[in-house]
Amino acid sequence: MNVTVCVLPSQAKHSEHHEGRHYSIPLEEVKAVFPHGLPSRFQQQIKTFNEACLMVRKPALELFTYLKSSNFAHPAVRYVIYGEKGTGKTMTLCHVVHYCARQGWLVLHIPDAHLWVKNCKELMKSSYKEERLDQPLQASVWLKNFKASNERFLKEIKTQKTYVWGKQESTEEGRPLGEVVEQGLARTRNASDAVGVVLKELKQQCQRGSFRLLVAVDGVNALWGRTTLKREDKSPVSPGELTLVYNLRKLMMNNWNGGAIVTTLSQTGSLFKPRSAYLPQELLGKVSHGLPPPSFTMGNRNPGWGTASGHGGRVCFSLSSHNIL
Amino acid sequence: RPPSPLVRCRLTQVRWSRYNPSFIEPEVNKELYQKPWEELSEEEKKKLELKAVQPIKAAPPSLSSSVFSDPMVSKFTNMMMKGGNKVLARSLMSQTLEAIKRKQLEKYHKAPEDEKETIECNPYVIFHQALKNCQPIIGLSSITKGGKTYQVPVPLKDNRKRFLAMKWLITECRENKNRRMLMPEKLSLELLQAFNNEGPIIKKKHMLHKMAEANRAYAHFRWW
Repeated sequence: MNVTVCVLPSQAKHSEHHEGRHYSIPLEEVKAVFPHGLPSRFQQQIKTFNEACLMVRKPALELFTYLKSSNFAHPAVRYVIYGEKGTGKTMTLCHVVHYCARQGWLVLHIPDAHLWVKNCKELMKSSYKEERLDQPLQASVWLKNFKASNERFLKEIKTQKTYVWGKQESTEEGRPLGEVVEQGLARTRNASDAVGVVLKELKQQCQRGSFRLLVAVDGVNALWGRTTLKREDKSPVSPGELTLVYNLRKLMMNNWNGGAIVTTLSQTGSLFKPRSAYLPQELLGKVSHGLPPPSFTMGNRNPGWGTASGHGGRVCFSLSSHNIL
Repeated sequence: RPPSPLVRCRLTQVRWSRYNPSFIEPEVNKELYQKPWEELSEEEKKKLELKAVQPIKAAPPSLSSSVFSDPMVSKFTNMMMKGGNKVLARSLMSQTLEAIKRKQLEKYHKAPEDEKETIECNPYVIFHQALKNCQPIIGLSSITKGGKTYQVPVPLKDNRKRFLAMKWLITECRENKNRRMLMPEKLSLELLQAFNNEGPIIKKKHMLHKMAEANRAYAHFRWW
């Protein structure tokens, strides 16, 4: 196993012969681009060695070619990175996030969707819709990190509707999106609704083409699985009844254009799934019906990936244990 | 389904082994076997000739010829073990060594250029030096004379010194820690403090020395 650490040219020029090498990200960029994205063990490594070195992996390089050559007039393509435990799915996602952030895209990074469907201490009834439940803590944490990573976009993008938060608080049309985020941070009661507003605005305005949107979700199987949350009368909550998950699912549909959706399947934080499950059919269940089956050659487990069909296609990238160099 | 990595099996140990006295201990040192015949000393030549004839005892599972095995570390792991759970004790030990290495590396990266050479990053060196610093030189032994028991200062054997150092370290880490602090973290902290000749275990050693110094009037009670 040859691990070479070298100062690679800027990311846009990463190509096949860079596969297997590490490239380091300056620590200031790490704080700016990944306020919440990196896994905790990697953050420990950064702290110990005083540098952040990511390995260039083949699925990441494939994704870069797809992103470079994608037509943004077509609906957003949904990419799914799957693989066994410990093969580098989250790190590949972080690599893609860093690449897009360097290219100037607006990155909507949800570090772990599993955290939104379990261990919620405060579940409140949503003030907007009766049946839905709010999660003020998770929403405010996410808003804080989103603000830290996308400061300049929040000043440029303007709201297109008036949003009324309460008797005296409202955001007028044409105000910068940063105000919505501030409102969500100031009043935790409205934090989940603020997140919903941000997601809706970004989806609408992305189609105009003034900026590119990358939706990066880690552990996307949480959005269509089960939750461990219960209401006060001990009845179980399905993910569709949570405001955050409901709004995120709307973004996952491919009825918008001007960006891309990159997701990861993860068994590690998932609920009610066996440890050996890693294929999209096993983790996503019924939602993965449209996915093409991964193709494996006999004997040698090659990374299989489905073909991207014209519009609204879903592409899978698999990370097998042979991929880690 | 992939097989689980841990397979529980019971090893039956014999308490007092009843090998025939003619059985020889196994020799694990690889370098001895790689030496050519001419370079061996007289004793070593005799031993090798004896091996060809006499039977050899079975090697215990903890004896290893690997470069990574350290008898001191193994002894410490055995002392940390509870209820025969060697897997847990070994993992705690490796996590401790990793924690020491991480702390030292952080210090190394933050230190200015001229101080970088003084910082020791090898966790094994730190472990050995810390244990050496914790070893008492003189101990106390209770001797009864004329109905009264006196604490008599007594020189300690090497084995006893090593045992006391390890025992103090482990009891200190088990008792005086935060409820939420894990053993590797606390152990690494204590080891680093002992390496720098500070901390509660060094204090305990100094207390023992002071007591021995205070009781030096009874030193003549010792008859060995």
